[in-house]
Amino acid sequence: MNNKLNAKDLINVGIFTAVYFVLVFAVAMLGVIPIFMPLLCVIVPIIGGVPFMLFLTKVKKFGMILIMSILMGILMLLTGMGYYAIIVGLVSGLIAEFVYKGGGYKSASKAVLTSGLFSIWIIGNYIPLFTNIEGYFATRQSFGQEYIDALTGLMPAWMCPVLLVAAFISGIIGGLFGRALLKKHFAKAGIV
Amino acid sequence: MRQSILQSDVDARGLVIDPRTKLLLLITMAVFVLGSVGIAQLSFINPVLCLIPFCLLLLSRRIKVAVVSLLIYALIYLVTMLVMPHTTGLINFLLLGTSVVVMRLLPGILTGMYVLSSTTVSEFTAAMQRMHITEKLTIPLSVMFRFFPTVADEFSSINDAMLMRGVSFGGGNVGKMLEYRLVPLMTCSVKIGEELSAAALTRGLGGSVRRTNVCRIGFHLADAVVITLCAAPYAGLLLSRCGVL
Repeated sequence: MNNKLNAKDLINVGIFTAVYFVLVFAVAMLGVIPIFMPLLCVIVPIIGGVPFMLFLTKVKKFGMILIMSILMGILMLLTGMGYYAIIVGLVSGLIAEFVYKGGGYKSASKAVLTSGLFSIWIIGNYIPLFTNIEGYFATRQSFGQEYIDALTGLMPAWMCPVLLVAAFISGIIGGLFGRALLKKHFAKAGIV
Repeated sequence: MRQSILQSDVDARGLVIDPRTKLLLLITMAVFVLGSVGIAQLSFINPVLCLIPFCLLLLSRRIKVAVVSLLIYALIYLVTMLVMPHTTGLINFLLLGTSVVVMRLLPGILTGMYVLSSTTVSEFTAAMQRMHITEKLTIPLSVMFRFFPTVADEFSSINDAMLMRGVSFGGGNVGKMLEYRLVPLMTCSVKIGEELSAAALTRGLGGSVRRTNVCRIGFHLADAVVITLCAAPYAGLLLSRCGVL
């Protein structure tokens, strides 16, 4: 079997990244309300788990998860979330890639774990909140003092590892949720 | 299928600028308007940047979109400036939310709309090829650009179908809302993906030889203007970091 990525694989990456991004973007609009900001870390991986698990059934070669991860980072840059998601996505995508590769690109339990690891990219969007909170809000005065106070209260420094774990765990939940849907619908329809 | 704002219509477009310029504009908008990386001395640059997508939309003959969104933007701007200081509590919060979404996101969304609606996939591929970006990123990216309008289109159709079946907030089947929307969306995305792969194969995408491209892309006067405007905030940022400003 040819192990190089061909056009079909790359098109699959593009399509699933598009679906994933649209879902993430729709959900992330909730971030305007302060309390949803940390909660996004939970909601996004769970919803995203569905397209991601279906995507994993199409992944048979090295590099596809990594490319998707980098693309999500680029899209985050283009939607004004900063460049951190690219760096985090590069690392988490690579780890996810190796884990799924370890399962021979078909192990179901490894797929769920991969979904958890992949979801860590979302932490990249929170990094400026922890490393440079004054700088973050200095440029966001238009949000108003109430928003800033509410968000600062919600984001003490210890939240950073908590969010990391939360993203990982909800990624796994999303993976399980996605797998249940796969079994229920897609296997029956002959898509997987 | 009806013509959507996100799909490019090659015959009826006015001013054409290079895809690479559009990419620069998109990144600049993301960094300085959406991400609000900026400095106080240069705060006048943001409104100028915000005006670019309106002008470009006008010049590429999407007059209705441009005028309507400009009106919305102006209205929200006035409300933020005049009404908001006099409100407190919940109303203030709601106004704030709207104004943040509109003022920060609208220019970015319009730029995105403009880029998607005025660039063909071939032009985009040609630009990427000129910049020597690997095919492993170019192909997924161009599929994505082509695919966003499709996702939106399919999703609204699925939404209509599900409304008819009563799977909505008011319809009593709230628990099924997510599943009954995601699953059809996934299913049709996979199908469309297979069709796209077949179409791409006939066009020789992913072959071992270098593909040729008929699109003529290049920098002209309009590009120079946009690039200069985009370069200004970066220059300002650099100067302020060096302590000049």
